Amino acid sequence: MENDKNSQKIVDYIQNFSRKHSLFVLAYGTGCGAIEIPATMTSRYDAERFGIRGAATPRQADVLLITGYLSTKTLKRVIRVYEQMQEPKYVIGFGSCTINGGMYYDSYNTINGLDQYLPVDVYINGCMPRPESVISGFVKLQELIQDGKANNGEKYRENLEHYRTNQKKIIKNWKMPDYNW
Amino acid sequence: MEDLGLKIFGAILTTFMAFAVGMTYGGIVRKLTARVQNRYGPPVYQNFLDLLKLQSKKTNIAHGFMGHMAPVWIIIAAVTVLMFIPILNGNLWFPNLSFHGDLIFLLYMMVFGSLGMALGAGQTGNPNSAIGVTRGLSQMVGYEIPFVLALVALMIQYETTSVQDLTQIQHETGVWNAFANPFAFLAALFASLGMFRYSPFDIVGAPAELASGPVSEFGGKYLGTMMSGGAVFAFIKLTLYVHLFFGGAGNPDNSGIWATLAGIGILLIKTFLLYMIPVFYGWINPRYRTEQAIRYFWGWPTALGILGVLWAVYIY
Amino acid sequence: MTDLVKENKLLDAVSQAFKIKGKVIRNRRVEVYADKNMVSSILLFAKKQLGYIHMAHMTCVDWIDQGEFELVYTIYSPIEKITLFVKTRIDRENPEMENIDSIWDQANTYEREMREMFGIEFPGLVGEHDFILEDWDQIPPMRKEFDTHKYSAETFFSRPGREDAKEVRDELSKRSGTIVPDFAKKYSRE
Repeated sequence: MENDKNSQKIVDYIQNFSRKHSLFVLAYGTGCGAIEIPATMTSRYDAERFGIRGAATPRQADVLLITGYLSTKTLKRVIRVYEQMQEPKYVIGFGSCTINGGMYYDSYNTINGLDQYLPVDVYINGCMPRPESVISGFVKLQELIQDGKANNGEKYRENLEHYRTNQKKIIKNWKMPDYNW
Repeated sequence: MEDLGLKIFGAILTTFMAFAVGMTYGGIVRKLTARVQNRYGPPVYQNFLDLLKLQSKKTNIAHGFMGHMAPVWIIIAAVTVLMFIPILNGNLWFPNLSFHGDLIFLLYMMVFGSLGMALGAGQTGNPNSAIGVTRGLSQMVGYEIPFVLALVALMIQYETTSVQDLTQIQHETGVWNAFANPFAFLAALFASLGMFRYSPFDIVGAPAELASGPVSEFGGKYLGTMMSGGAVFAFIKLTLYVHLFFGGAGNPDNSGIWATLAGIGILLIKTFLLYMIPVFYGWINPRYRTEQAIRYFWGWPTALGILGVLWAVYIY
Repeated sequence: MTDLVKENKLLDAVSQAFKIKGKVIRNRRVEVYADKNMVSSILLFAKKQLGYIHMAHMTCVDWIDQGEFELVYTIYSPIEKITLFVKTRIDRENPEMENIDSIWDQANTYEREMREMFGIEFPGLVGEHDFILEDWDQIPPMRKEFDTHKYSAETFFSRPGREDAKEVRDELSKRSGTIVPDFAKKYSRE
């Protein structure tokens, strides 16, 4: 039993080390904050030295960046994209619209806080956050991965009923495939 | 018996070496690309970290039997082709399985991997995959013609179809094939630009153009296997080029351990320098569409290939 | 340059042809006030006879105290470089307006937006009803009787702490003990 625990710790350490140094970000800009992503990825504030690169499809991606406000129309598509990603998967909320509604807090069409509909790992505040803030958000995500605390994919799978009731309250025409993976 | 043991040991060592060298070349190219673009880049071992992360995904989604088979076929094709190329010339450790007709065998075996990927991508039902596969195979039709013409020119010139014999002839005459039949070399060089899938011929797996083409529905372990298969294929093609045109590496008279290591070192240097040609050309070019790429390959490179065949027939 | 010759000429041409009032606001801006039945004739006249071939925008203003919607059509002439506003008023209880889809194609998009956001009927308008909002079952949201803050607070879960929104600079200066300089004060909420 003692051997088992030690070897499990080594395997976990290697897996978390490789997961945190190679993050594939889905190239999907959901809101107006997506304008800071090219600035972070190109030459001046190089994000590739951390191993972060863009991925084209949700099947290949690890991280979903919700950049900015989410209208109800976009939320339906984002939920579908999130369910297609493979575990372990992380969600980063960009900007103050994901925290408490931001400057669209009294709009009839945008949600006021992301936490009720999708499990979020890291929030980066700002409107829009500068590339230095974005990189510090990714570094915080790396620390969470190394400690083993970033398991929100499992949390979504276990609390599916809770998230579904919240989502169905605002998305009335629910025609989506069931979550079966 | 101990000969067989040495050969099996050499074969296993070849596979690991091809894998490690292919992934490291990919990492070095990423670092160099970053430096050219005036930024720091990822560390040189970044491809290994990507592979480890992809292999440690907890859930894996596949779309049926062919989806499982596609990465397996690519690995099978890569390892099979690898076994038929003599890594070092005439060495006791690394002759692998080369035989006397192997150049023709290699020509059609290299296509096997793309066939596997095409079948796997077709099973997923994603239209992006179908378009990406069609484009990849059309481009392959483009660059195969100058490549085959260059190899046929070499085969006619020296009246042999064995890679090992070609390397031996270069060793004896002292002149590299790149200078003995320059037209064939130029045609094969243009074809190599298409083979390595760097700009301007990277429309097959372009992420922004097509949601990365054939690999768009593969994730996790399947994607990791495909990426490492691609790295092994790059090493295979480079080694083949070095043996055919640049004199190969290794000393057939000496099979001791220091000579073997020196041979491997020379092989690595030659393959790396040859790899820089498509990489340099890719840094400064935008992307061609498929019909532009095919028109490019059937223009000057085919003409140079025909000139190479005529050179081999009439001058020698 | 304060002659405004072209603008006055335009105003005279339109108001004498249709017997309506108008005003020259400034250089390159002219507006006319029309009756709701004459709008399409004025627009067609301006497009064919006066050379105002480009329709820039079409919008709606909600005068809730007077019980009317005001529709504003913005058209532009690239030769004279004058923007002409054609303004009408329609009733607010049963709003209905003519479809000018056949004069300019882009009016289709603007009219669909107005049908969804204000509830104005355009007979003969072709296009899906769900244009911008999906599965909307309340009154058209741009009307002034729709309380959007109340709707948002009820439907979407708010995070506590928003109600007493404090001024960020004052809070930080109180916490850290520094003073807000004068040049920064002019961007505060007062």
